Amino acid sequence: MHIPDGFLDAKTWISLSAISAGVVAISVARANKKLGEKHIPLMGIMSAFIFAAQMLNFPVAGGTSGHFMGGVLATILLGPFAGVLIMTTVLIVQCFIFGDGGITSLGANVFNMAVIGSVLGYLIYFTFYKIIKGKTGRFIGAFIAAWSSIVLAAGFCALELAISGTSPLKVTLTTMLGVHCIIGIGEAVITVAVISFVLATRSDLLELEKI
Amino acid sequence: MEHSFIDKYSDRDSLLHRLDPRVKIICLVGFIILMVLTPPQYFHVFGQYFLVVVALLAISRIPFWFFIKRSLIVIPFVIAIAFFIPFFKEGRTAFILDLWLFKLSVSYEGILIFWNVLAKAWLSIMALILLSATTKFSRLLKGLEKLKFPKVLIMNLSFMYRYLFLITDEAQRMGRARNMRYFGGQFFRQLKVLGNMIGSLFIRSYERAERVYAAMCARGFDGTARTINPLKIQVRDLCFTVIFSAILMFIFVGWYI
Repeated sequence: MHIPDGFLDAKTWISLSAISAGVVAISVARANKKLGEKHIPLMGIMSAFIFAAQMLNFPVAGGTSGHFMGGVLATILLGPFAGVLIMTTVLIVQCFIFGDGGITSLGANVFNMAVIGSVLGYLIYFTFYKIIKGKTGRFIGAFIAAWSSIVLAAGFCALELAISGTSPLKVTLTTMLGVHCIIGIGEAVITVAVISFVLATRSDLLELEKI
Repeated sequence: MEHSFIDKYSDRDSLLHRLDPRVKIICLVGFIILMVLTPPQYFHVFGQYFLVVVALLAISRIPFWFFIKRSLIVIPFVIAIAFFIPFFKEGRTAFILDLWLFKLSVSYEGILIFWNVLAKAWLSIMALILLSATTKFSRLLKGLEKLKFPKVLIMNLSFMYRYLFLITDEAQRMGRARNMRYFGGQFFRQLKVLGNMIGSLFIRSYERAERVYAAMCARGFDGTARTINPLKIQVRDLCFTVIFSAILMFIFVGWYI
């Protein structure tokens, strides 16, 4: 889902870069205010963890495979602003070092995968967590948040490509949403499984201070 | 995992390696932005951009085949998203493909968009490889820091770079152990296994972060990282910037007028 350079036209990538830069700036300000020294190595190592977890593939229908994105997981564990920073870090490394995505489309990729996943994911998760008490609320919230983070990211990706005039909206949107509805289930089940595993072994880690 | 898979060849010596990372970052971003803003119908302009990349490659002494192989990773993605565009985009028909059951018309506009996406994505990834293969990651971060990139992100990136290899190795060991014991199974069971793996990877990473922090405290960490060897802009950096931007301007003005 990383958009390379050249797929977006000037108006799209400039405005998305501006939005993403704004959100990242807010997150940086929040992190500077609330971040203890202890969080500095923690955030970096969590970025490496998300990066490594993304390397583990799972099968999707028809012989293709998807991989874990982890935006919602990072958000649930460390809070939405930390989530934005962690995912942005991962995306920067993937762009500069591995050539996944481009420089001009970095803003769009950060918007799709870091901003939407973390901010909306956090809102969805916490709404359910507050309404339904206990474990069930946590799991349902995590499931829906993780699924919608993938589907929304795919939807926005298709929308951005269509606005740029690169591909027709109808075809791209239906194929992207269709495929990512299934990948989203994978993401959601994995996120819930990770949370239930952490809950069973070290439940104190789910109560870390959120940024 | 081999340590060098990230910035392989960055310890070689050439003009590009010796340049200040700030200069390289600014030139790269300028190059990519100008290239992306170039309309696709100016084919010769893309040829000129390609020549710039080839010239830099020759200066940088990065092995040719390594460079080509790395740059080709973007192609499958381009094909996956953009391949059907020529068939769907409406416009003047270029030619009609006569398949057995149905006919597909291919439009000029569609081919132009496909070309646009392919050329720009490929050129930009080649430029990115030129940067990442000639600059050590630590120097890249130092350059970004000097360019007033947010400090939190820089710290985050440097810790990520430091622990990426360890944790990726750990993830790959877990994956290997699973593959040896695990003989397929249902979709949901596989996902659950993967969830448990990622869960324990998370706990291990968290505990590692705690140990790292304790070790850093023991060595007097107070929230800022101090490094020696500050960056200095030298004559060759200025020369490179002037020549590079002159060439870019020349190309840009060439199609603009």
